[in-house]
Amino acid sequence: MSESEINGTEEDVQDKKQKKQTRHDGGAADLERVTDYAEEKEISAAHISSAVEQIGNKRSKEEERKVAKEMELLKVHVKKEDIELIMNEMLITRAQAEKVLREQSGDVVAALEAIIAN
Amino acid sequence: MPSSDPLPPKESALFRKLLKCYEMKQYKNGLKLAKQILSNPKYAEHGETLAMKGLTLNGLGRRDEAYKYVRLGLRKDLRSHVCWHVYGLLQRSDKKYDEAIKCYRNALKWEKDNLQILKDLSLLQIQMRDLEGYKETRHHLFTLRPSQHASWIGFAMSYHLIGDLEMANSILETFSQSQASIETHDYRHSELLLYQNQILIEAGNLQRALDHLHQYESQIVDKLAVQESVGDLHIKLGQPALAVPIFEELIRRNPENTLYYSQYFAAREFTEPADKLAAFKQFEEIYPRAMCPKRLPLDVASGDAFRAALDSYLRRGLRKGVPPLFVNVRVLHRNHEKAAIIEELALQYYENLTRSGHFSREDADANLPVEPASALVWTALFLAQHYDYKRDTEHALEYVNAAIEHTPTLIELFMTKGRIYKHAGDPVEAYMWMDEAQSMDTADRYINSKCAKYMLRANLVKEAEEICSKFTREGVTAMENLNEMQCMWFQTECALAYQRMGLWGDSLKKCHEVDRHFSEIIEDQFDFHTYCMRKMTLRAYIGLLRLEDVLRRHPFYFKAAKCAIEVYIRLYDKPLKSEETIEEIDSENLPPSELKKLRSKQRKAKKKAELESAQAAQAQVKREQHQKSKQQANQEADPEAPQLDELIPEKLERPDDPLDKAIEFLKPLQQLAKDRIETHLLAFEIYCRKNKILLMLQSIRRAIAIDATHSSIHACIARFAQALSKLTANGELNVSVQTVIDKATKELIGTKSVQQLNDEFVAQKSDSIMHLYEGARIMYELDPNKRNEAIKLITSFDINKVKLEEATKIFEALRSGAFGECTAELRQYRTTCQQRFKYARVFKDIADTESNAAANDVNHVDEKSKPNAISADEKTADL
Repeated sequence: MSESEINGTEEDVQDKKQKKQTRHDGGAADLERVTDYAEEKEISAAHISSAVEQIGNKRSKEEERKVAKEMELLKVHVKKEDIELIMNEMLITRAQAEKVLREQSGDVVAALEAIIAN
Repeated sequence: MPSSDPLPPKESALFRKLLKCYEMKQYKNGLKLAKQILSNPKYAEHGETLAMKGLTLNGLGRRDEAYKYVRLGLRKDLRSHVCWHVYGLLQRSDKKYDEAIKCYRNALKWEKDNLQILKDLSLLQIQMRDLEGYKETRHHLFTLRPSQHASWIGFAMSYHLIGDLEMANSILETFSQSQASIETHDYRHSELLLYQNQILIEAGNLQRALDHLHQYESQIVDKLAVQESVGDLHIKLGQPALAVPIFEELIRRNPENTLYYSQYFAAREFTEPADKLAAFKQFEEIYPRAMCPKRLPLDVASGDAFRAALDSYLRRGLRKGVPPLFVNVRVLHRNHEKAAIIEELALQYYENLTRSGHFSREDADANLPVEPASALVWTALFLAQHYDYKRDTEHALEYVNAAIEHTPTLIELFMTKGRIYKHAGDPVEAYMWMDEAQSMDTADRYINSKCAKYMLRANLVKEAEEICSKFTREGVTAMENLNEMQCMWFQTECALAYQRMGLWGDSLKKCHEVDRHFSEIIEDQFDFHTYCMRKMTLRAYIGLLRLEDVLRRHPFYFKAAKCAIEVYIRLYDKPLKSEETIEEIDSENLPPSELKKLRSKQRKAKKKAELESAQAAQAQVKREQHQKSKQQANQEADPEAPQLDELIPEKLERPDDPLDKAIEFLKPLQQLAKDRIETHLLAFEIYCRKNKILLMLQSIRRAIAIDATHSSIHACIARFAQALSKLTANGELNVSVQTVIDKATKELIGTKSVQQLNDEFVAQKSDSIMHLYEGARIMYELDPNKRNEAIKLITSFDINKVKLEEATKIFEALRSGAFGECTAELRQYRTTCQQRFKYARVFKDIADTESNAAANDVNHVDEKSKPNAISADEKTADL
């Protein structure tokens, strides 16, 4: 979609016409321009590759931690009726209810207390 | 990018032009190009071209056709990322962000590294605050195009938003090192540096932030921001001496910024008022025209120093005739000592001005020139406002009337007179004076708005609209224009007026309109996701994102939401009859004469209703026409205006589940206004009716955390205990819930019964009328035989210690039957209140208001056709 090509002369004329039309709207025209298309600036790729690598390393570690934490939560055994009880009593969504319950190691009383204390 | 259904070179070139035209917003040209491609019979069903045609049509505001072509195109070419992307863009322009995200994901399935799609996806993710997703997308973009500025900045920003400031900083640091040459006076570069500095400060790396500022000072063009930050950092880093010259310089630059003064004092390590006063004195000499060095000492000083400072401050203001003089010193009234000095001085001025034209006897003795004649008027006005603040209506009126007699052309005097009546509880008299003031200068928008507001307080919606129409656009009704202009104070006051009149649907309509303004403001941030990144105004952008996150914390939202919740609760407690059955009142048990009366009344009402509905239909047609013409006019300007359901009062006041509707308004409050006790009291009211015992408990706990002494909490606890015992008796409690509740009740109530609790409460709080009121209500509820005792508890309270708002609340409760039938006590209490609050309208005209109440009780149609000046929810109840 982002491919661009040199404008034909025909379009240039069109462009000018459009500009003329909107010149008098002042503020409104400025607002319109907020959503205009703009070319991206490039920077020279001097030290980039090493920096990218460095940041990449940091990121992958972070990723590992996140996955580990999620696995931990997934291991928790939760009962369906407990989730439904929480949903019904606290009027929250299933996802929210399940999250709290998992965080409280499947203990429904602790989960309810955690929500109330919040 | 390879297409799944490629076009030959000529058409392919046309298609590229079509894309370009769309990007440049040359929609008409785009349509022509699409037509050229599609007119070739071989490609008449080319999916991507059809989709692009649809998207271009959408740009022209032809939404229905747009959907038709985009869907058609997608069906012809389901494996094209272009078609999916276009469908996503269309959904996005329709504000269906969730759907749009799905479309983009589908598009990415066919072209996983498409930059444009990834960028568009990232915009939606930040709009929906899917910060994790945003970070992923930004990372993807970064790895694809590390050579682009925007990749780095977006990547860093995604970490900033998620709270990983260290990472955000290190990305920006690496980026700035890899930047080769910097032009002098590069605003974007300068903003980027300040943005990075902000991240350092937020991360608590103050020393690094300070070093960073010093290092790059020459490249930063926003010199003011640098100065302010450096000064602040020096103070925070314990180097106050270094900050002193900076804040001296800042005060020189702008001597009216109060923050600079307090920072200056922090830098000088001043804690004693005397030091501060001396410093203010110096600044006053250096900057004689500045207001801050004159006004700020009043906050710091006390005793004689305060009197001296106030004396010169007031004299100057009264001499020059500064209209907001009282407003400028109003906060000082919180301090009783200061309030007394203010009163003393103002009285002294008034006395001496009347006698000799001087502010004091000393001036007269010294034969100083007399003050201008206007000083007396302004002094009288000041005194009127002062006594009004103290709710001393008699004195306030006395002074304001004296002033009006002196100068009957000063608008401020009439405004103040109106305000005095408002505070004294007479909204009708208040609006009449405000209207008088308004008529003296019809070109002043401020007084115009004030007048409209006062009219709404007197439940005169039509009149208020009329007044506002002097300033709204011609050709549309004022109400419509005010909605378009997001004039929220007006709409909220309207909602409250309708609430007082019992026009629930109209009230809800206004509340929903306000709610929609907030949604719209949130929508409006969309364009800034691209714009701010491009312009590099990142500090402002982060500020915007954070503001939008807590937007509904605004008091405007709170007011409207509170009104909506109260109305929905009312509609839950006493649902309205469905529109058809309104007419069929129980006519069986009426005597023939009454029946005849009723029938004729019904006939009249019906006629009126028919007339009204005919008018409404006409208005509807007109509105539609207007809408159409507006749409045509806007077609190119704003094709993205969302199509919302029309808000119809009759439908709004008959919701399927009022409590669920109320919860929709409550949720943002619970999230954003959790420091306001009303939020949790409202939550309790809802959950109590929903029978959600744990949520009731949650609301009580949150309320207690804010203000354990609030009078309403006791009633909540008592109702909680009652609800609990009912649930336990019915055996409806789940074991786990029971465990939680048992533990919590022990903390909250202990082992006492509700009766015991209430007796103790009443005994303990005998000096607070609002606490006694809550206690009395519970007393009556627990044992109706104690009715007289309960009523006596509140009506025998020393009326001189009761505020108008409190008396009104008690009176309304008595009238609404909260203590059963009590006509005699009500009459008695009314007389007592009438003597205490002479001007308050609620306590006036016993016969008049009662007949109104009776009229309101008959049926809803009648209620609507008769919006009397004062009526309330409770009045429709049994009397």
